[in-house]
Amino acid sequence: MMLQVSDVEVHYDGAIVALQGVTFTVERGGLVALLGPNGAGKTTLMKAVAGMLPFELGEIVRGEITYEGAALKGAHPATITRRGVALVQDGRQCFRNLTIAENLRAASFLSPKTAEAHLKMVFGYFPVLQQMQDRPAGFLSGGQLQMLTIAMALMGNPKLLLLDEPSLGLSPVMVQSVFDVVERMHRDLGMTVVVAEQTVPRLLKMATDLYVLSRGRVVMHAKPEEADEDALQRVYLS
Amino acid sequence: MILVLQLAVAGLATGSVYALIAIGVVLIYKCSGVVNFAQGAYAMVGAYVSYVLLSAGLPPILGVIFSMAVLAALGTLTERLVLRPMLKAQLVAVMMVTLGLLIVSRAACLIIWGPDQIAFPKVFPEGSISAAGIFITYNYIAAGILALVLSLGFLAFYQFTPIGLQQRCAADNTRAALAIGIHVSNQVSLAWAMSAALAGLAGTLLATLNGLSLDLAGIGMIAFPVIVVGGLSSLVGALIAGLLLGVLQSFTDGLLTPALEDFLRAHTSIYSVGALQQVVPYALLVAMLLLRPQGLFGRRGTERV
Repeated sequence: MMLQVSDVEVHYDGAIVALQGVTFTVERGGLVALLGPNGAGKTTLMKAVAGMLPFELGEIVRGEITYEGAALKGAHPATITRRGVALVQDGRQCFRNLTIAENLRAASFLSPKTAEAHLKMVFGYFPVLQQMQDRPAGFLSGGQLQMLTIAMALMGNPKLLLLDEPSLGLSPVMVQSVFDVVERMHRDLGMTVVVAEQTVPRLLKMATDLYVLSRGRVVMHAKPEEADEDALQRVYLS
Repeated sequence: MILVLQLAVAGLATGSVYALIAIGVVLIYKCSGVVNFAQGAYAMVGAYVSYVLLSAGLPPILGVIFSMAVLAALGTLTERLVLRPMLKAQLVAVMMVTLGLLIVSRAACLIIWGPDQIAFPKVFPEGSISAAGIFITYNYIAAGILALVLSLGFLAFYQFTPIGLQQRCAADNTRAALAIGIHVSNQVSLAWAMSAALAGLAGTLLATLNGLSLDLAGIGMIAFPVIVVGGLSSLVGALIAGLLLGVLQSFTDGLLTPALEDFLRAHTSIYSVGALQQVVPYALLVAMLLLRPQGLFGRRGTERV
């Protein structure tokens, strides 16, 4: 088991309960789909794992998070990143005043030895980034920014990649190409991936495990092929 | 014409010292969003620390380097003890605290060293050169060159080294910086350390030019017109605007003031217009805010440093 989230409860601002009794497991080499409607707690769960909650007035008040057998709870996000967990956050977080090349170089500062090889790899995945590498990231379109943030996560050579709604605001064609890359990373690099989404049929086809969150609780855990379409529908309509 | 050149050279020398201080202000603003009013305090304390070290007989180079190290420690302490506990406070509150620091450190220096101007130990060799009719002391040349080299060196460091890149990342987007493994708070500490050290050096250089007194704390205020003219978030802007302001002040002092006084003496009973050059920075500040509030080099969103 790579990541184990046990009975976690998260509060924002000391009052708002965002997650309650969430238990969530990621096997090594798995591709986990984390589904749920807006406000279900997907982003909060990912931030809890990546250690980002304290920066948004969030707090894990109960439960444990272990990664590769060691506790993650309370660790600084930079430390968690150094241990091999990369979070592609919502809002396409990158350095907009820096060029694409600088963004990627910065993202590889933890593993400078493999930076060249990784750069080649991400340019292979996202040729458009190579063509535009000397432009400031602020000039990119939404889809290109999403590619850049995924590419930045890859530059750090992570073992566990957390993607928070990568398809948000992208055109169907762009969604396809982003998911193509996710599938290739999982298949070719053997990377363990967790993808949070609202609904993407494509994600269900490639996932090895499925969790559904609703109102801060896990309401379904199943193998994607066993997931019942009607049950999923009910979660979204409830 | 020779007078103009002479004034320009002298202006460039003081201007590059202004640039050193302004670069520090911009650096802190970029990474912590705080306009640091205590920058002048760092300059003043730096000059007094250099004075103590040099008076104790340390060689000038070592004395200046040690004083920069002391100031770097002081900058880090400010960040750790003052800034960090106020992370969730409003920025205006933090700026007021930096203003408080300026007042407190000025008072502390007053208690320790008294209100009088002190002759600063010799740092650069005495003497002067004259070339092409321009006459300038070694003091000015050395201070100007040192400040300029350090400013440029710092800009190069910020733009081209891995730590500079991490600094730029931390300043650009905290969340993204954390996500790629950068300890943002350490980078912020480092920025305060570097900017206090630069200000300390600037203070020492000013003391070699004009003598050592509590008035050095006021130099921090000149940094504000400089960064407004340069664009609040542009380090290159701070450098260029610093040089520009130094030259403008020098011209005002050497050309405008005498001309104006001659005119006034001829036509009115006014005998002197006072230190007009001290008004120039703030006149420029007001003009800039009216005409181009983002400064010469500030362009939100796509601004490069």
